[in-house]
Amino acid sequence: MKNKQDKTRKRNLIWRYSFATLLIIFGIVLSYFNMSNEFLGFSSVSLWLIYVGFVMLTVITLQMLFKKERIVDERMEFIASKASRVTFIGIILFAFLIMIIDGIKPIEIAYSYFMSYLICGIVLLYIVSYKILSNKY
Amino acid sequence: MKTKIAFYRKKLNITQEELAELVGVTRQTILVLEQGKYNPSLLLAYKITNALKQKKIEDVFKIK
Repeated sequence: MKNKQDKTRKRNLIWRYSFATLLIIFGIVLSYFNMSNEFLGFSSVSLWLIYVGFVMLTVITLQMLFKKERIVDERMEFIASKASRVTFIGIILFAFLIMIIDGIKPIEIAYSYFMSYLICGIVLLYIVSYKILSNKY
Repeated sequence: MKTKIAFYRKKLNITQEELAELVGVTRQTILVLEQGKYNPSLLLAYKITNALKQKKIEDVFKIK
């Protein structure tokens, strides 16, 4: 059981390191070919990709060095799945609400701000629902 | 679900933390199991029964 967990952890680590490296490589390639100035409507993508890649590498390395062994049991998985479902329903309801509000009065908020708020909202909703459900189950 | 985890645990003189470590779950899980708030899987019920040195799962867990 422990051996299987170790294998999974190792595999996850390799995947995370590969993804971070891929981000950096992608950022360097975009920067080298000067494609980053206007990429899908975003500017300076390459620098951000390199930055995020390096932050990811640092976080993964720090986690690997200092993280204590955490137990994830079946109850936590059960609560997490329920919290995910609640969050998903929340997103659907929120999208519906946004559509109605946008129909009444057009939303003039910048797309990047909107996405940032949305992601913060999703994370917050997940955490709150997880905390409430962990008191219930 | 009604459980006798607390009863057998006290009989063996072990803490929730120790039992949690024995079966590979968190202390909170043992707490909610004792309170009967959470229904464990068959595997976890089996592990707890074994850790509490009981023979049958029905001795520890009872459906209300």
